[in-house]
Amino acid sequence: MENSNQTEWRIIGETVPGASHIRAGTPNQDSILLVRESSRGLPIVVSIADGHGSAKCFRSDFGSQFAVKKAAQIVGEFLDERRGHFDLAEIENKGKDYLPKEFVKKWRKTVEYHLKNNPFTEDEFKKLEEKSGVGARKLIEENPLLAYGTTSLTVAMEEDFVLYLQLGDGDILNVSAAGEVTKPLPEDARLLANETTSMCLPKAENDFRFSVQKISVEQSHALILLSTDGYLNSFSSEAGFFQAGTDILNMLAADGGHDAVNVNLKAWLEEATQMGSGDDSTVGIIYSPDRLKKSESDAKSEKTSETQTPETTTTTETPPSPETSQAIAALTNSETVTPENMEDVTVTITIKKDKNKVSAKPAAALAQKDADTQQPNSASEKTIDKKSK
Amino acid sequence: MEMKRPGGELASRPLHFIWIADSSGSMGDDGKIQSLNTAIREAVPHMKKVAEDNPNAQVLVRAVKFSSGAQWHISQPTPVADFAWADLTADGETDMGKGLELVAEQLKMPPMSDRALPPVLVLVSDGQPTDDFEGGLKALMEQPWGKKAVRIAISIGQDADPEVLQKFIGNSELKPLAANSPEALVKHIKWASTAVLKSASSPAAGAEVPAGTDTANVPIPIPTAAPATGTAAQTGTQNAGASTGTPAGTQGDPNDQNTIDDVW
Repeated sequence: MENSNQTEWRIIGETVPGASHIRAGTPNQDSILLVRESSRGLPIVVSIADGHGSAKCFRSDFGSQFAVKKAAQIVGEFLDERRGHFDLAEIENKGKDYLPKEFVKKWRKTVEYHLKNNPFTEDEFKKLEEKSGVGARKLIEENPLLAYGTTSLTVAMEEDFVLYLQLGDGDILNVSAAGEVTKPLPEDARLLANETTSMCLPKAENDFRFSVQKISVEQSHALILLSTDGYLNSFSSEAGFFQAGTDILNMLAADGGHDAVNVNLKAWLEEATQMGSGDDSTVGIIYSPDRLKKSESDAKSEKTSETQTPETTTTTETPPSPETSQAIAALTNSETVTPENMEDVTVTITIKKDKNKVSAKPAAALAQKDADTQQPNSASEKTIDKKSK
Repeated sequence: MEMKRPGGELASRPLHFIWIADSSGSMGDDGKIQSLNTAIREAVPHMKKVAEDNPNAQVLVRAVKFSSGAQWHISQPTPVADFAWADLTADGETDMGKGLELVAEQLKMPPMSDRALPPVLVLVSDGQPTDDFEGGLKALMEQPWGKKAVRIAISIGQDADPEVLQKFIGNSELKPLAANSPEALVKHIKWASTAVLKSASSPAAGAEVPAGTDTANVPIPIPTAAPATGTAAQTGTQNAGASTGTPAGTQGDPNDQNTIDDVW
């Protein structure tokens, strides 16, 4: 059960293939993973990744999927090791070096494992050479990680602080209860003209941006929004993108706001990519209903609603559908888990509707199940959710 | 429950296409300036068609002219659908450096935004720079968007300096295109305004590239030998950014010119 004094945080997320990707017949190379501790409600970890669209990064859909799983796993473990004696200065000092280094190491290991079981095919090289010339093959042979290149953005929410970890383009926004939008991480001037720092580059661990932000009554965010650059680039200005953060905050504050945003987010992202960048677009949202500005009637209405369907439960109120069970089974297939993933910490994969929470072991939930499969399983939580309705 | 979409105005990503045209006195010789006007005017409908193929890129065209000094010939970034070429006239020196400085000024952020696609700069000249070309190039390359731009150069006649144009391109794998006749000029202008534009506005151009793995962000097509009649240049699929080298019989290959008689 969640501590009744604890601030409640809820999560929503969605990813859609880019309009230009659909026209070109290429897959969605973005991934998203939403993870919540089952017994405590916190931490919440939201990780998104944008697999590069370059022809040389022809397995970036796998790369982004591995990134969200490894980022969530490593950040979750890092916090769990310190639970009960959080020291923000220590977390900041240790985390800024340890997390990037460990994350890159684990991601590379996962990619190498996948590659060992699924070597590059002549067909992949043929397509690469058609698109990028014969020299591109040499580049991949010299650095096979390039084929899996991806960005990574992760936010972990604890009771008293938020941890941010980012490599490459994309944005994380903080939105205050008053709707003021700020960025918790500094800009990276290297990210221009589609060039991005990447998990696949040598010394990638040196290119991360990292921050730990203390949450206080005076200084608290009502909402944190993570997005891949496909969504940001769909707005004619950055102000328009910031406005999306404020608008979503206001929508969530209205009666029935959670369900409305949850249901409409996919269509909004689809409209954005069609009218805007054409790129894959992903958004993850963490917000606190308690911190949203509400009218009295909204607050009353939501209170009634919460009484009827308490969100703090960790039991499944409605049994998951066969599709949900199947999808969870796919995520939790321990047979394919490698020793590095065997730490036994319980997490919940949040399936958008909190009443459908299902507990799973992180060793399974974050496993590299897909490392030995052919098809990536991007945003699998979303798939589960859609099917469980 | 359907709700209004959050956020401000949506827009496709701007792709700035800038002609940097020599309008010095020598361009008045042997009908070169008329040929350039004709070539660009004929290319515009093709540019429009290419732009229509990718609705997620907004192609904006304008032009700088340089002679004694430099000025914007068409100053507004004009949506290609509304773009019409205004004829250049020839007079004065070849102040190419000043032309590049003007472009550099417009590639600053702002007015450029960081959500733009890499711009395309096409430099056309028939002579040696008469001003501080190096200074102009430096100003251009100091701008992040100048450095990231797709830079194409076309030389008209025998007097242009290939070394200068190569410096502007800044990529040893991509050579200046030599136009020694009106037909060749039409062909090269058409290639720059269609094949290059197509690549620069394609999803591949908008695709993320790990930093430092490519010498160019945009996969530039290598022109292959095309009929001398000036029909649309066939394009290869080589990535000028990759270490592919230029395939024999393609870009800059003298064979490319063999079927066209030199006039200039």
